Amino acid sequence: MASEITYGHTGPVLKLEDVAIAYKVRGGEIEAVQNVSFEINRGESHGIVGESGCGKSTVAWAIVNFLGANGYVKRGSVKFLGQELVGKRGEDLRRLRGDQIAMVYQDPMQALNPSMRLGDQLKEVLTVHRGLSNAEAEKRAIEMLERVYMPDAANVMKRFPHQISGGQQQRVVIAMALLNNPALLIMDEPTTALDVTVEAAVLDLIAELRREFDTAIMYITHNLGVVARVCTKVGVMYAGEMVERGTVEQIFKHPQHPYTQGLMRCVPKLGADKASSMLYPIRGRVPPPNSRPIGCIFGPRCDYARERCRLERPQPRIMSNGVEVRCHFAEEIDPAQWQPHEDIELPTVHEVAPGEPLLKIEHLKKYYEVSGTTLKDLLGLTPKRYVKAVEDATFTVRQGRTLGVVGESGCGKSTLIKTIIGLENSTDGKAEFMGFDITGDISSRDLAVIKELQMVFQNPDSTMNPSYTVGQQIARPMLRFKTVPKKQVRQEVIKLLQAMRLGENYMDRLPRQLSGGEKQRVGIARALASHPNLVLCDEPVSALDVSVQAAILNLLLDLQSKLGTTMVFIAHDLSVVRFFSDDVAVMYLGQIMEIGPADAIYAPPYHPYTEALLSAVPIPDPTAEQKHIRLEGSVPSALDPPSGCRFHTRCPRRHLAPEEGAVCATQIPPWQEIGNGHKIFCHIPQEILRTFEPVISIKEKDESHVS
Amino acid sequence: MTVAQPVLAASRPPSRLRKLWNSISIVFQSRIGTAGLVVVAFWVIIAFVSLFWTPYPPNSSLFVQNLPHNSTNWLGTDHLGRDELSRLMQGTQVILLKTRLPGENRIAIPGGVAIWGVLGSLLLGSVLGLNAGYRGGWWDQVIMQVLDALIAFPVIVLYLVIIAALGQGDLVVIFAITITGAPGVARLVRGLTLDIKTRDYIRAAETRGESKAFIMYREILPNARGPLLVDAMLRVGYAIFAIGTLGFLGLGLPPPDPDWGNMVNEARRNIFINQWAVIFPSLAIASLVIGLNLFADGLREEITRYQK
Amino acid sequence: MLVKDIMTRHPIMAASDTPVTEVQSIMSQNGIRHLPVVGDGKRLQGLITRQRLALKADELGSLNVWEITRHISQLRAGQIMLKRAQVITVTPNRTVERAAALLTDYKISGLPVVEEEIVVGIITETDLLRAFQIMLGLPMSGVRVTVRMPNRKGEFNKLSSVIAQNGWGVTGMGSFPTPRNPGKYDLVLKIPDVSVDEVQEALSSIPDQTIVDIRAAV
Repeated sequence: MASEITYGHTGPVLKLEDVAIAYKVRGGEIEAVQNVSFEINRGESHGIVGESGCGKSTVAWAIVNFLGANGYVKRGSVKFLGQELVGKRGEDLRRLRGDQIAMVYQDPMQALNPSMRLGDQLKEVLTVHRGLSNAEAEKRAIEMLERVYMPDAANVMKRFPHQISGGQQQRVVIAMALLNNPALLIMDEPTTALDVTVEAAVLDLIAELRREFDTAIMYITHNLGVVARVCTKVGVMYAGEMVERGTVEQIFKHPQHPYTQGLMRCVPKLGADKASSMLYPIRGRVPPPNSRPIGCIFGPRCDYARERCRLERPQPRIMSNGVEVRCHFAEEIDPAQWQPHEDIELPTVHEVAPGEPLLKIEHLKKYYEVSGTTLKDLLGLTPKRYVKAVEDATFTVRQGRTLGVVGESGCGKSTLIKTIIGLENSTDGKAEFMGFDITGDISSRDLAVIKELQMVFQNPDSTMNPSYTVGQQIARPMLRFKTVPKKQVRQEVIKLLQAMRLGENYMDRLPRQLSGGEKQRVGIARALASHPNLVLCDEPVSALDVSVQAAILNLLLDLQSKLGTTMVFIAHDLSVVRFFSDDVAVMYLGQIMEIGPADAIYAPPYHPYTEALLSAVPIPDPTAEQKHIRLEGSVPSALDPPSGCRFHTRCPRRHLAPEEGAVCATQIPPWQEIGNGHKIFCHIPQEILRTFEPVISIKEKDESHVS
Repeated sequence: MTVAQPVLAASRPPSRLRKLWNSISIVFQSRIGTAGLVVVAFWVIIAFVSLFWTPYPPNSSLFVQNLPHNSTNWLGTDHLGRDELSRLMQGTQVILLKTRLPGENRIAIPGGVAIWGVLGSLLLGSVLGLNAGYRGGWWDQVIMQVLDALIAFPVIVLYLVIIAALGQGDLVVIFAITITGAPGVARLVRGLTLDIKTRDYIRAAETRGESKAFIMYREILPNARGPLLVDAMLRVGYAIFAIGTLGFLGLGLPPPDPDWGNMVNEARRNIFINQWAVIFPSLAIASLVIGLNLFADGLREEITRYQK
Repeated sequence: MLVKDIMTRHPIMAASDTPVTEVQSIMSQNGIRHLPVVGDGKRLQGLITRQRLALKADELGSLNVWEITRHISQLRAGQIMLKRAQVITVTPNRTVERAAALLTDYKISGLPVVEEEIVVGIITETDLLRAFQIMLGLPMSGVRVTVRMPNRKGEFNKLSSVIAQNGWGVTGMGSFPTPRNPGKYDLVLKIPDVSVDEVQEALSSIPDQTIVDIRAAV
């Protein structure tokens, strides 16, 4: 591919040189960011990736002077459009940056005023900054909304922020940022809170706008896949330093810093499963800013560390392929020769033959009644309305297997799990667990059933009661279910902690003394304390950093193979679900759309919704070719779901169904048996479904051809 | 295949006292809190000293009436010629240190009227707030409606009604403080409960099939203790204020023990002869209440910082 | 090819109260010759070129060194800039050749690009020269051939059909009336992925057209 031709001035829009950012705290100061250098040109999007706490957002705040009262740029220079920002004061800075830098945050509601109409907020940018007339501003604002593919732009102008969906809010924020035609757009995790299909559309938009407006984009994210999709260059940050920087192709194809290599080994590839591949977490943890090593900052966790790495902090060096690496021995490191360090925990996975059915769900429904607010509703004169959170779920989980449930937010996967565990009672249908009926909620269940059904939660910060020690919390289920004689509880807790690879000394720690990953381990230990038969995992790794995520997944896999525990695993990350599960169910708007063995779900024949989901997943490989399918509109309300097939309003393949898709709107689709337990809930005949191409094809480029 | 862990000497869990001290000592981080603590500690020490020693017997008329402060009577004397300083010192006891049970044999239990009153309102308020917040629905409606009705009464009227109905006495004052304080505590606890009950660890307890009482008192309540502690400090201040008010109205703690409010009330009649006998007890009430308020403020500041 | 396609977007700009000392360092550090002065939401107020930075002797009280430094340190961008009325500008939708004509007509080297008085970019000689390079296919390697043909209809068609027959592509093209041979046009083509001989053989068969220059070029 020929290098992109650039016109015009080639000087960078933003240039950081050896920037160090410090926060003053009680009793000293903390250097959150050290020696960061990079530059961004016009029309370039530069990704900054790193795990939480590595200082990526701090860099962005330094540029826009949002460091707060106690933060400041300690060393180095920040040049914006050729002019130094460091050392300048308020008014000068405002004039320099003026309307030339815009920022987009993770939460669009931070940038939108909830009490103003969107149109007024957009127009305000133009009337205040530019002095345009109201009518002119209105016209421009609508044009810009159309540029960001906002459906029905003129109408959106009249709405309030809460009346549009999250993805649309983010579009409005981007439109607002672009109205002033800024030279630099800083995006701080702009798609992290969005569903994968919405995220894909926003990422497409960002890539397109960058080219059209020649805006320099600084894109901060923790997701390697997102970087691969939107960025041209990328810098990898670790513990406040930029350890590697280069073009996306180089970094992803030949990562040279051991940390970057480690990150790549942490993420499951889409399509990889637990039997054929392995995740390798990075051992150790990120050092806190006040106790960083004097030598290489990654040294203590690096598998290649030598004497020099302990004594001397490496400086960034430009390698032969143009990548800047902060490592003494980058040339000598060959990732192909890498062997996992003996300290890291690797699970032993063996294929489990499907055992007896453990959990049988048939036509399970869960409706929530919605009370209206009108007088008629209060008097009970209107018919009752229901949110149909789960509609007709049917599946079986066999002993020792893992069922993954995927779907976007609001698809009912959490409700499904809550109904199974008994936090909610079901509205209709059959649910049987080990032969016991579990349609009622937990108060109607026998202690013996409760003991066998446990749950692992999503948020590590709220999974543990802050008032009790680790030991007390793990001991509680043992005492409650009397699985262990009282005198042996302590021994048993220690045994369990060791199985979680936490030492005995964790017994008396309080949750606030633990890191996120450790809390999650304790959460798992608590769930396993009663030796349950079925463990329900509600997004157990989605709030964790990738290296911790890998360790937790490995731990779960290991425990499962040792204890033979059956699991139901909810996640929105399709690669994680594929990696972890034996069977997968895809849900949309309370309805299971496709179910079957994991490898069958991720390969044709697809349900059209599965196909769209897969084509939206950001893949951490810039050479991967992915089908471009984007869903239009947003998920309809579960209060009033579409008739017939619930997906018909957004289905990109509807025209393939009988009668040009007319049946989709009127008739509930049939379950088509594809074989081997793979079932698809669709009107399109399976002969046609089988003709779909695979969504992702990785092009294996011949090395010699490229040079 | 467990990985070797560094074997640490089995660390003993910290004792309860140690834990309590740890949570109190964060107050020293805040200047305001430290100042408040010093004032409160001053009065507590005075109270303990007064148990064993006062300059003169507080209830004996040994001196000339209505003296201003002088070298013999540091704070002067009252209208019956009793030593003002001794009475002031003794007056701390009923508030902070002892509660006299009714009956002829003069039995006192440890813990002052203000302390017991606040403990009572915490207990009652927490139970009501937890049930309203966690159970929700009708429980919430009924409990909160009743408490709101109670709040709607002016506090002083409530005091008067209770004392008029039950007569004077330390226990009655405790009861009055409990009843008037409980609605506020209940509101606070209910708010905290509504927040805490959405946490995953409550889900975890529910999936273990724990009883509602267990979840309320063992899972939720301990996590509300920070704000409750702060609220308790403030409430002790209000309670002292209330006791002072009642004493001033002549409905407070019964004699013979001196009561600050009562002291003000009696001295008021001779205010043109000896204004000092009014000023000193008033200052005592004010300083203790302000001290508690500052202490609570400092505690709140540090607790919220700590949680972040 | 319009101005908006080749202009530099988000140019470096100054405000009218920027000190001239700073203007000087901005221009020299970034190697730029034109600095638009904007205010009130990127509205064009003036333009500073290198010449504007030269000291005007008549404005100085004396040639004392201190006097000069004092004078310079007090100067602001607004005082030395070319005022808006004197600045020649172009809109983003003009053609590139129009912009070039403005440069040559007024003997200037750069134009701020404005849209309703708001500066959206700048176009300079450098941008135009770079566009010229790219037009003739400089970044790509291939065979550069100059064909001389009579100025009449249908000649280009002959040439293009030969190229089409061979299945070649064209990465750069330009045509110039040759001043020394009236009635003839020189057409320059850049053809990638072929050899000089192939092109020579194929094009020399066209009647009335001659190859005046052929080379493999990068």
